[in-house]
Amino acid sequence: MRANPKDVNTGVYYIDGDVASGYGALAAGCKFVAGYPITPSTEAAEAFARIAPKAGAMFIQMEDELGSIAAVVGASWAGVKSMTITSGPGYSLMMETIGFGAMLETPFVLLNIQRGGPSTGVPTKTGQADMMQSRWGSHGDYELIALSPDSPQELFDYTIKAFNLAERYRCPVMIMSDECVGHMTEKVVIPPADEIEIEPRRFYAGPKDKYLPFKPDEDLIPKMAKAGDGYNLYISGLTHDERGYPAENGGCQSVYTKRLVDKIRLNKDKIIELKEEGLEDAEVVVISYGISSRVAVRGIEMAREEGIRVGSLRLVTVWPFPDERIAELAKKVKAFVVPEINYGQIAFEVERCSHGMANVILVPHGGAGVHHPDDIYNAIEYARRLEGRVEGVIEQKTRLERLVFEERIKLSE
Amino acid sequence: MNPFITAFAKGIERSGVDPIKVSVVSDIPFDPGVVNHLHIDFFHTIRGRAIAFGTGLKLGNPALQVVPIIGDLVTLGGNHFVHAGRRNMDLLVICVNNFVYRKIAGELAPSIPPSFSPYSTFEEPFNVPHLANSCGAIYTARWTALHTDELTLSVSEALKKRGFCVIEVLLPGPNYYRRIKEIESDLVNFYYENSVIRDGEDPRNVGITPEGKIVVGKFTDKERPTFIDSYNAQLSSVLGDEFIPYGG
Amino acid sequence: MTVLKAVKSRVKHPMDNLLRMDRIPHIWCPGCGIGIAVSAFAAALDKAKIDLDKVAIVSGIGCTGRVAGYVKIDSFHTTHGRAIAFATGIKLGNPEIKVVVFSGDGDLISIGGNHFIHAARRNMDMLVICVNNFIYAMTGGQVAPTTPLKAYATTSPFGCVEPPFNIPYIADSSGAVYVARWTALHVRRLTNSLVEALNKRGFSVVEVISPCAMYYSRINRLGDGLDMMKFYHDNAEIKHGEDTKNLDIGFQTKIIVGKFVDRERPSYLESYNRWLSEMKDGTP
Repeated sequence: MRANPKDVNTGVYYIDGDVASGYGALAAGCKFVAGYPITPSTEAAEAFARIAPKAGAMFIQMEDELGSIAAVVGASWAGVKSMTITSGPGYSLMMETIGFGAMLETPFVLLNIQRGGPSTGVPTKTGQADMMQSRWGSHGDYELIALSPDSPQELFDYTIKAFNLAERYRCPVMIMSDECVGHMTEKVVIPPADEIEIEPRRFYAGPKDKYLPFKPDEDLIPKMAKAGDGYNLYISGLTHDERGYPAENGGCQSVYTKRLVDKIRLNKDKIIELKEEGLEDAEVVVISYGISSRVAVRGIEMAREEGIRVGSLRLVTVWPFPDERIAELAKKVKAFVVPEINYGQIAFEVERCSHGMANVILVPHGGAGVHHPDDIYNAIEYARRLEGRVEGVIEQKTRLERLVFEERIKLSE
Repeated sequence: MNPFITAFAKGIERSGVDPIKVSVVSDIPFDPGVVNHLHIDFFHTIRGRAIAFGTGLKLGNPALQVVPIIGDLVTLGGNHFVHAGRRNMDLLVICVNNFVYRKIAGELAPSIPPSFSPYSTFEEPFNVPHLANSCGAIYTARWTALHTDELTLSVSEALKKRGFCVIEVLLPGPNYYRRIKEIESDLVNFYYENSVIRDGEDPRNVGITPEGKIVVGKFTDKERPTFIDSYNAQLSSVLGDEFIPYGG
Repeated sequence: MTVLKAVKSRVKHPMDNLLRMDRIPHIWCPGCGIGIAVSAFAAALDKAKIDLDKVAIVSGIGCTGRVAGYVKIDSFHTTHGRAIAFATGIKLGNPEIKVVVFSGDGDLISIGGNHFIHAARRNMDMLVICVNNFIYAMTGGQVAPTTPLKAYATTSPFGCVEPPFNIPYIADSSGAVYVARWTALHVRRLTNSLVEALNKRGFSVVEVISPCAMYYSRINRLGDGLDMMKFYHDNAEIKHGEDTKNLDIGFQTKIIVGKFVDRERPSYLESYNRWLSEMKDGTP
């Protein structure tokens, strides 16, 4: 289905990533955003609040993040596409209801503009340390989808894609961006509506009395109905059977949670999007996502200038994780270099998937800033020289860390 | 099921609203049989978020009649309660107050362990109608399990009103109900002897104290523009023709 | 700069022992009223003659959330909305401590609204100073639950559509024992109110209406901090004992200030101790 021209503000803009995401949400057909101010994500909510009333959509600022996400799940069950916008502490508050949304197989989108943490951390500066939280944050077993755009244009494009994936797989979709991308101002091209493909909600269309809200189709995803259409919905956060009725026995729990994870795992090939470059003859591969991949570009260039054969694998989809692709590469390459703005999250996933066949070098960063390209270059260089297999993840000492910990240079005050 | 469900069902019937458009949002599970019988949609959400979920449901489809039934007084969801009241979100909140509470029940329920009470026993409970009224509810009432006819009438009145309506119902909750069934008749007697109907009483005087009687009745019934009304009025005055009114 | 340093070293500020002078200059914008509230509070601490080692100040997140960092007593800068819950823990952990929660309207009434009403219901012994500037200023001017109807903010770009909370009313109806409201202009009265509230047992709330020159006034074209002070001067009316339900604030309407509630109710710990001491051998 094509986007509704009323929702698409076609044109060429010079805007930041947050604003682009707000425009993307509207273009994707989102009619309801509930949020709560939190730096550095607020601009997305502000942008949506400005453009929504002219497209019959609504922004409501709720009393807190707990309320925002609950309202978003509610609105989705009323039949509209919905989104919430948050960052660090707000994301932590939302965890319980994300699991609730996953349990109810509710399509909704969550934009998380990551900042440095834990707790209040550095609200106005960047971080990438919520990656594992996005995967495992709520209790219980479930799978969801997380995307990691690296430019304002991508924040527009992938916000639309996030809505499409949410509708397609009936699950929460996270856009795990970061402050640098959110506050980065660049050219953003919003195409005409007929060039934007959107996935409509897949409503059930059969006879009303035969409807089972949690009876999966062949692709493991059930059709949805909305409140107020006479379906007599019984929707519960308790483990439920196909009718939606609570069924708290071991069998039902296994069948249900297995399907919650399988509907994503078995459709992985269709969900995962990777950007690969120069992998054919690479001896070292840089695996990156979000803002780190923008920095990595320079590190890779420097390495190539030195004649090192280095490839790049960018995780546009971070969850579900591309296990098979990384395992396949591990057989061919010498090492993976993983720059990320944390002390090791995705690097450990890479190590898991490389099955000891390639070295994994983590280029960490504490947050509040991005890597220096030298760090990534040094890691590539080190990885190429390293002989033999080293167990576990090797942590690269970065330039910043040498300054702070060895030369004891005071960086503040 | 308990007297509340019967009164609620009768209230829907009497109000004349289309039950298909009624969505009940609760943090306690309902018997699926009841849901089917009433022809409503039912959402069992997580503790404390019924009103916030209901807000989303209402704004997602303003044609719905959303009824959050909150079973834990206003403990976990207190913030959503007061803010929905302030916004005058068009919801009918039914606060099921399963008050098995030593101070009030006194000699009636000495065997009930403190864990049964919604609050530690020495804390003063909220005066729910007063809290609702002070944060902006347009309709507040309180009834007990004994006052089923009045409760039915209140439900039907509140369903027809547009705005944030709160009905507090004093009764043993469905779970407690079964366990303490043997004293149920005593509780009804207790309500009979200790409650007094005072319609139109100032909500600040209806706090439940160990000494006084339980005041029941309809306390607030006023008009105030709902959230969607104010939203549409304000935005069409600022944006004019550019604005697409929300909810048709 | 050197001159300033020289002056600093010679002249002792009367609040040197109450404020963390090493953290000055503070982060607040010119024309902001939070600094006034802080100095009123510092003066009140001095006047109330309480042991400063036994006072703890807790703030949440926001402009006012930074207050804890400037007062020279045990200070805690906590997470957004949880200042009252954190303070409850301090109070119950060591009942000797006088706990003061100093935070903003968004932090206390929006995200922290539930803790606010429940602490009032329990009559938890603490003083809550709520600086109300009608907007979320730290994040850049978003609508707050106190933003008057029709006022502009970045997330209500076409005017606020939600009626604001009347903070004294919600405090009163939840059970607070002391409720007052002043503006940043009423420094002396605010100080006296804070002294009274510091000496009160139970949940006390003092609302301080403060100008926000950078966001609220700028977005709504209300001038600078001084213009807001002039506005308070002309439009604030002192009405002690006024029924709290009449204290709504509209967009640039009259603001009623004063002490509205001053009553006695057993505090949480008093009820707790009485209840448990009556519960000899397990029955009341």
